[in-house]
Amino acid sequence: MESQTLPYIALGITVAFSVGIAMVILVLNRLLGPHRMNAEKGAPFECGSDPVDSPGKRVNVRFYVVAIFFVVFDIEAVFLFPWAVLYRELLATPAFGMLALAEVVVFLGILAMGLWYVWGKGALDWAFDAPASRRNHG
Amino acid sequence: MLTNLLAIGPELVLTLTVVLVLIADLVIGDRPARRGSLAVLSFAGLAAAAATFFLLPDGGPAAFGGLVSGDGLGVFFRGLFLVAAFFGVAFGALSDEIPVERFGEYAAMLLATTLGMSFLVQSQNLLMILLSLELVSLPSYVLAGFRRGDSRSSEAALKYVLYGAAASGLMLYGFSLLYGMAGTLDLSAIGPALNAKAAGGSVGIRAGIALAALLSLAGFGYKVAAVPFHQWCPDVYEGAPTPVTAFLSVGPKAAGVAALIRFVVIGFGASVATPPAGGLPWPVLLGVLAMATMTLGNLAAIPQDNVKRLLAYSSIAHAGYLLMGIAVGTPDAVQAVAVYLPIYLLMNLGAFLAVMAVRAKTGSETIADYRGLVARSPALSIALAIFLFSLTGLPPLAGFIGKFYLFAAVVKAGTPFFYVLAIVGVLNSVVSLFYYARLVKAMFLEASPDGAPAVLVPVPVGLLLAILAIPTLVLGLWWSPLADLAARAAGIVG
Amino acid sequence: MTDPIVSAMVFYALAAFTLVAAGFVALSGNIVHSAFALFATLFGVAGLYAYLSADLLAVVQMLVYVGGISVLVLFAVMLTSGLDGPLTSNPTFRLGGGIVLMLAVAAAAFVAATAVPSGVESAAVPTTAAIGDALLGAYVLPFEVVSVVLLAALVGAVTLARGYKGGHR
Repeated sequence: MESQTLPYIALGITVAFSVGIAMVILVLNRLLGPHRMNAEKGAPFECGSDPVDSPGKRVNVRFYVVAIFFVVFDIEAVFLFPWAVLYRELLATPAFGMLALAEVVVFLGILAMGLWYVWGKGALDWAFDAPASRRNHG
Repeated sequence: MLTNLLAIGPELVLTLTVVLVLIADLVIGDRPARRGSLAVLSFAGLAAAAATFFLLPDGGPAAFGGLVSGDGLGVFFRGLFLVAAFFGVAFGALSDEIPVERFGEYAAMLLATTLGMSFLVQSQNLLMILLSLELVSLPSYVLAGFRRGDSRSSEAALKYVLYGAAASGLMLYGFSLLYGMAGTLDLSAIGPALNAKAAGGSVGIRAGIALAALLSLAGFGYKVAAVPFHQWCPDVYEGAPTPVTAFLSVGPKAAGVAALIRFVVIGFGASVATPPAGGLPWPVLLGVLAMATMTLGNLAAIPQDNVKRLLAYSSIAHAGYLLMGIAVGTPDAVQAVAVYLPIYLLMNLGAFLAVMAVRAKTGSETIADYRGLVARSPALSIALAIFLFSLTGLPPLAGFIGKFYLFAAVVKAGTPFFYVLAIVGVLNSVVSLFYYARLVKAMFLEASPDGAPAVLVPVPVGLLLAILAIPTLVLGLWWSPLADLAARAAGIVG
Repeated sequence: MTDPIVSAMVFYALAAFTLVAAGFVALSGNIVHSAFALFATLFGVAGLYAYLSADLLAVVQMLVYVGGISVLVLFAVMLTSGLDGPLTSNPTFRLGGGIVLMLAVAAAAFVAATAVPSGVESAAVPTTAAIGDALLGAYVLPFEVVSVVLLAALVGAVTLARGYKGGHR
């Protein structure tokens, strides 16, 4: 039992340590750094440019679609973890190995079909409805 | 392995069809025969799926280690769903509400819904039920929002999603509690496990079971649009394109009813003939739900002016009638439900097809525009009248047979509560005559508004109307084949 | 098991973190702040999964919810119009109803928790391989059905998003 919980304690220490370091740096910065704000300092410098618009604009709906695709393939990846953990072990028995491979190929095949469809319909194409969106903004 | 695969043969073919339709959608591009070839491909897939029914293993063993059941109930409804999908695809191909460039997506989503329904009715496992229900719901949401740039269609999709997500969430919570208490996901083992727990258990355990069961009911109640999970129904039915509404009103609803039968009658072993399952008075609980559902559906249908909304409330009322059968839970009652649903499918699809035909010519769905329809399109008016009177349950139409079997099963239950339930049901049928007849009266007895266009029915639509109307007439007089099939479907509870 | 006091402390710390973050989601007046607090809430839940030694579940929670769904929520927030103005969220607090609901849920959770005989201490072992075994063996059918559900989600997303092309004016 001890050996099972030890890694978690180690993980907890790591998390606490990294969060702590970040906090310490932020706090020290706040405490030690001089704070003399003026207009010159607030302006973009060298690699920036003057803002053209307020950042609080509505985001294009396309971001959302891409995010949905991301989540779908994220979930796909999640289902592959348990398979991947087990696959080497299953290969020891060729019949099991082939079956496991076939099962995962079907799973991935159906989703690859989805990817093909999404691709073919131009939904991954960033500018696929550019004229319409320009009309909307113009 | 092979037996397992054969047992889900229709589903494998349906999956393949979905994939092929998507490929064809990409490959065909903008050629003129697009709509026709995609429809033919879908029909071929449905026919092939139907053919695999002959390859189903004999005796209906459970496949995949008991995840899915090959019993008569499942086979009966899987067949029914293929029919529903056929009409769904055909309606979509004939409707101007589904743009030709999006017909491939329409067919694929509709077939995916059918696949989900098909898995749902044979699921013997909570995990499988939940997953199939999601497979029914996800494409349904998309179908409901299919009308491009139409705010009512978008509203329909959004309401559907929000209610659906909430109902799935409640159901998932209920299922997780059931799993925690019963220690198994297998439906056939949950009932005995919970009975054992409830028998010697404290009030806490009984309350826990009741909570879990009620939460689980939410998911099913949402799918069949039973009170109090019905609010999405009128808005979705009105906002969705008419072919989609027609399909949603029969397909997922029938799937929900069948799954509820499996959950309550097989899972909990609940019926009037058995002691309270898991310490819950299922028959009375579902009976009250049935009364509330049919009464609200019928009363709310009366003031409606939009025909699709009217039919939405009517479909809520019909969910109430069907719940009566599930409440009784005897083999007779399951048979009655299995008789009722195919008939309901015919007459409801028929009514929506008529609405679609009128809309195609007049662009309107309000009752006022149905005035004098008989002069403008006699055949269509007569067909719609047949469907409406059949929905009311008037003899000698098929709807009467469905109601007859249901009420007979309810009366046979033989307790005072079920006599009351039967009386409420009959009163409700009388109320329903009022609003169905209002539409018929508008069509036959009132004069057309000035300048109302003639409604010419295209040949394929007329053909489909006939395919739906003729059995609605014939089954009212000669119903024994259907009753036999339904009896085989109900064999599970015997 | 390790020292029960340490174990309990870890649990209460995680639970408190999750609850505070969840409270922030529900009470913050700024919808963007609420969205970010949701990250923290989901992260806390992942911590609880890890605490219960559901290792795969914790990873899934991190990947899908903290990594994916949160981004989706944030995009949804940014899609809403009126971000230029005051970012209001939770404009009303129906305190009475909220308390009633909270008590009802607490009662239900208590009933549900006590209905299951506790004391079945499951061993803290890695679950990933066991889940993989189930997915490839007894539960292979749901495993494959999941891919169809995901396919439907993909096609559905394309279908609905393309609807905006001509209709969004």
